Amino acid sequence: MAEKNQMQNDLILPSARQQYLIFTLLLLSVIVFFVLDLFLGSVSIKSSDILKTLFSGGNEQLSIILFKFRFPKAITALLVGIGLAVSGLQMQTIFRNPMAGPDVLGITAGASLGVAFVILGFSVNISPDAIKSLGNWILVAASWIGAGVIMMVILFISARIKDIMTILILGIMLSSGISAIVILMQYFTSESLLKAYVIWTMGSLGNLTSDQLNVLLISILAGVILSLVSSKMLNALLLGDNYASSIGLNIKLARIVVFVCTSILTGSVTAFCGPIGFIGIAVPHMARIVFRTSDHKILIPGTILIGGVVMLVSDIVSQLPGSEKVIPLNSVTSLIGIPVVIWVILRNRKYSGIY
Amino acid sequence: MKSAVEEILSLKTLKIGYKTGNAENIILPELNATAYKGELIAVIGKNGAGKSTLLRTIAGLQQSLGGTVCHDGKDILKFSRIELARKVGYISTEIVRAANMNVYDLVALGRFPYTDWTGRIDNENQIKIAEAIRNTGMSALTSRYISEISDGERQRAMIARILAQDTHLMIMDEPTAFLDIGSKYEILYLLHNLAKNSGKTVIFSTHDLHIAISQADKIWLLTNKKLIEGAPEDLMLAGDFENLFESSSVRYDSDHGTFSFHVFEKGTIYVEGEGIIRHLTEKALSRIGFVVTGIKSKPCLIVPSGENKFWHLVTNNSTFRFSSIYELTSSLNNLDLKTI
Repeated sequence: MAEKNQMQNDLILPSARQQYLIFTLLLLSVIVFFVLDLFLGSVSIKSSDILKTLFSGGNEQLSIILFKFRFPKAITALLVGIGLAVSGLQMQTIFRNPMAGPDVLGITAGASLGVAFVILGFSVNISPDAIKSLGNWILVAASWIGAGVIMMVILFISARIKDIMTILILGIMLSSGISAIVILMQYFTSESLLKAYVIWTMGSLGNLTSDQLNVLLISILAGVILSLVSSKMLNALLLGDNYASSIGLNIKLARIVVFVCTSILTGSVTAFCGPIGFIGIAVPHMARIVFRTSDHKILIPGTILIGGVVMLVSDIVSQLPGSEKVIPLNSVTSLIGIPVVIWVILRNRKYSGIY
Repeated sequence: MKSAVEEILSLKTLKIGYKTGNAENIILPELNATAYKGELIAVIGKNGAGKSTLLRTIAGLQQSLGGTVCHDGKDILKFSRIELARKVGYISTEIVRAANMNVYDLVALGRFPYTDWTGRIDNENQIKIAEAIRNTGMSALTSRYISEISDGERQRAMIARILAQDTHLMIMDEPTAFLDIGSKYEILYLLHNLAKNSGKTVIFSTHDLHIAISQADKIWLLTNKKLIEGAPEDLMLAGDFENLFESSSVRYDSDHGTFSFHVFEKGTIYVEGEGIIRHLTEKALSRIGFVVTGIKSKPCLIVPSGENKFWHLVTNNSTFRFSSIYELTSSLNNLDLKTI
């Protein structure tokens, strides 16, 4: 980017400096909110105690709260934000649809179905304890497959139906259909498994074991690397399939890369943290507003940082710092995401094709 | 003569159409045509004649059902997607609607087949992009968003994009559709320059026969499931354009290269005068259904010239005076020449 902008100075207003500034600010906010997430929680701890624990090792109770609970939770928040936001951006570009996102198109629901099969499905023959030993990768893989199947269905349909609203309605139908299947499964399952599943659906960042966190970290890292590799393809896809292939893009390959990438990102997040709404759809728009560009070489790092910040903030808010209560994460992300989505709808009401 | 000129594209017994399952929906069964370096070729045909299908097939966006398409003497099937993108560029009526995409970004995407996997724009790419922007006169608009510029400007930006793509052959499906008349001619002027000065071969489809005839070096006329190739004048001589119209109320006038409706003929009139005033008066007369005769007779219309600022209509019985063509035509519409 640096070289590009240096040379295009004679052609274009130098916005590169602004973009660097924004990137720096975003990186700083990620760090600030990450630290804040450590400091603020439902158990109120003095800052001085936290600092003491962080740097010189304080009392045992505090270091458990900090290192076994708050630190992994903050990392999880960061990963979840990144994963959902990047997959949302990719979906919006590949479907050429400003309203696309993992939750809206039913991809999250698909992942939930995969998880439901693992958590609920085995109850017929296997005791609840056995599930824990099944391993996290099975849970994640089921989630990937669930997300992948729905992604494939939507891709298949969107190749035939171009209308954005129709696709969204189909996404809603798919979500409802999947919920119906899950409800049926709940009906036939044991009470303890049902409870485990229902808690999972509320969305939470704090229930991950360190093994699960590792799996999540590896998956998100893989997804992010793949998404960065796909940025040139995504830029070409902005032109629409015809122009994209006329400038030499292998559309099938591009679709497969994006498809695998979004399935991994959405699937892994959903497997461990439950269906978390509105981050995937709202964050890419925030990145577009902030960076005012369509270039994915900037938008992808941008959504990564903004996704991280938004999720950390959501986590802090959901802890209701200072109080003993915790509110569900999903209500916080919805309250942050929905205004952005409404703004996009209002702005685009004239052109249902613009994204 | 022709062997000295570089052959850019050749179509041999090309069969085009769509495949649905095992069934073939053939639009044009056998096409033969050639395009040489620096030619501006207009593709003409009725709606549904297969113009877009043909252009998409040439651009490799759609598979042919038989026969061959050769770019620079090599079969299109032997090209990879990237290789083909370096040979042929494509523009259709489809509008790019990406949010926050500026003109520079759009043009830079034309370098897609030349950049590495990161899409990095190096010095050489940068030069090509700047050149494409300059050649299309878009320099002042590089940082404008494509959603905010006019249709004509967006079309120029699209042309800049395929210029940056650096192909010998440019395929354009109705590049002047949706454009106002000024932008239409600006785009055509641009295409003409690209063909003549930069040696690009441009194949474009259009519904505007007048534009095609006046600007194109060659016409590919799609009619009756065939492709007729030739200079516009050749096709005029052969009377091929008349096949374009089924309806008998529209007629192509080979002498003038214009179209006219069959209007109930109201009579003949002789026009006396010169220059543009005479030309426009004749046009107005034929529009309202009069045949202009070359034989001096009555009624006779004397058009303004010199001191005379009025149109004088001299009939057997009397003389009428009009101060404008509108006044003249509205009176003539109401008059029965035979009785005056």
